[in-house]
Amino acid sequence: MAQKRNAVIVGGGTSKFGVRQAHLLDMIQEAMRACADDIPGLKPVDIDGLIVATTMAGRHSSALNTAPLVVQRLGLSPTSICIRVDTLCAGSNSAIIVAKGLIESGIADVILVTGGEKVYMPQRWETNYTQLAVNDHDWDSAMGLGVPPPFFAMIAKMHMKRYGTTKEQMAHVSVTNYNYGTDSPNGHFGGRTLTMEQALEARIIADPFGLYDCCPLSDGASAVIIASEERAKAMSNRPLVYLRGTGQHATHSMSAGWPGDTLAEWPHLKKAGEVAFKNAKLTPKDMDVIQTHDCFTISEVIELEELGFCKKGEGGAFVASGEIGIKGSIPTNTDGGLLVYGHPFGASGARQAIEICKQLQGRAIHQVKDAAFGLTHNLSGTCAQHTVVVYGKEPVK
Amino acid sequence: MAELQKAEIVGTPALDGQYIGEMDIWPFEAPEFNRIYPFYDNLRAGKFTTTKCKKCGHITFPPQVICPKCWAEELEWVELPKMAKVVTLTETQAGAPLGFESPLIIAWLTFGDKGPLKHLLGRIIHCKEGELKEGDEVKFVTFSVPAHPFEVKKDTKVSDRVYYAFEPVK
Ligand SMILES: [Zn+2]
Repeated sequence: MAQKRNAVIVGGGTSKFGVRQAHLLDMIQEAMRACADDIPGLKPVDIDGLIVATTMAGRHSSALNTAPLVVQRLGLSPTSICIRVDTLCAGSNSAIIVAKGLIESGIADVILVTGGEKVYMPQRWETNYTQLAVNDHDWDSAMGLGVPPPFFAMIAKMHMKRYGTTKEQMAHVSVTNYNYGTDSPNGHFGGRTLTMEQALEARIIADPFGLYDCCPLSDGASAVIIASEERAKAMSNRPLVYLRGTGQHATHSMSAGWPGDTLAEWPHLKKAGEVAFKNAKLTPKDMDVIQTHDCFTISEVIELEELGFCKKGEGGAFVASGEIGIKGSIPTNTDGGLLVYGHPFGASGARQAIEICKQLQGRAIHQVKDAAFGLTHNLSGTCAQHTVVVYGKEPVK
Repeated sequence: MAELQKAEIVGTPALDGQYIGEMDIWPFEAPEFNRIYPFYDNLRAGKFTTTKCKKCGHITFPPQVICPKCWAEELEWVELPKMAKVVTLTETQAGAPLGFESPLIIAWLTFGDKGPLKHLLGRIIHCKEGELKEGDEVKFVTFSVPAHPFEVKKDTKVSDRVYYAFEPVK
């Protein structure tokens, strides 16, 4: 039997995230430029596959069939795959799962995964309005459920009531992530710092969330190269970072189908994590550094529980005890996460992958010593779907 | 003044104030655009309904064209309970999407463990900010939403529409 082909992440880069004076395709070009800076051996002709992740391109950039537009702007000529994928906030993480399969199967050798969004329109109301179309439009959206804060505020209230989680504990997530993210030059809030007092005294967005409990909506794009082991070796001398295991689990599209006992339990994330760890032949204990979908502080708290880094219900105490800090048991969102780096939906999964790639190659800004295994996680929609990718310095044997 | 604004704000002249279905916040309720239109007809009659599978008995919400449990096409319309209890709620003061006035009150509702519908996010109307509490009972209520035009050959028909929400039991 022929030896199994392994897929690796070679490197990547992002555009500046934020409220940008730029078109979606401008930002994808910036992300490509940053990716090329990160992988000096990479040339346009090396790329045989392209996967573009975006949700809002169709509506906000009038670019429904986005992939050919990216081909033109980046000077590509893909021969194995040229598609757009959309799983909202998990778009580029989904694209990485697809790229892994295509490379391991031999269909593709070098795939560019890029994701991006132009969120901000000439008039601000349109951004919130568009979000009615990213939920189950005729049902939950018609109830007024568009922007996420109200929904996640209810999740937080329920977690606080059932497990005694406090606002102070949640603030530890934002303060920790600001400590990390202040050094991310392309981050939406890069350069900013946050104290516990500022976090707790911030204006209320949706009770119990203050401003710093919520990630921003960002314009921006990211790009990563997923390649076969041999091709990766040819274009980079850095240590190889293998895509070991993936899991993606969805159970519903609207609230009537919510799988948990209450909003504070996310069994669909638990399942997605179990699948990814099983495929990776690893456990949560093996992880050295992780990127979880901190769209809100409470999200990171619940994700640490459901992914198995602490007991269910103890996430609040866990984050407050310093375990997610650089010297803690599981440094989390070491580039600032969604809370600080920002959240252009389709760009976020690849942005997380870049940080895990750098950590495992030993060149992250907030480097976790001897990091060998890591994971990325996105939730998408009104917490309808969970996507997990596990990375390692060695392939699955 | 209105003339001046029209001259200065160009907008999209090609659309000339046209209704744009893809920007609509409400469902297309007319039979021409969906196969679960009896749900909306039932709403107009004040009923909260959904589909039940005649093969396996599974009741699903929202209503469907095939049963999600066994994929049977043989479905019938049944009524759902109209009373629910507020588990938790959120009141949006700023940032409610256009078309929804502030404060926009949305609650996580339970319909009891035994019913076919366990929980749902429901908008609460006829309720002032600060009035609704966890544990309160609410009941199903319908209201009119804007109609929309649609083409039938060379004619334009109008689809009158309703939607539903919940209101406090006083
Ligand atoms: Zn059935």
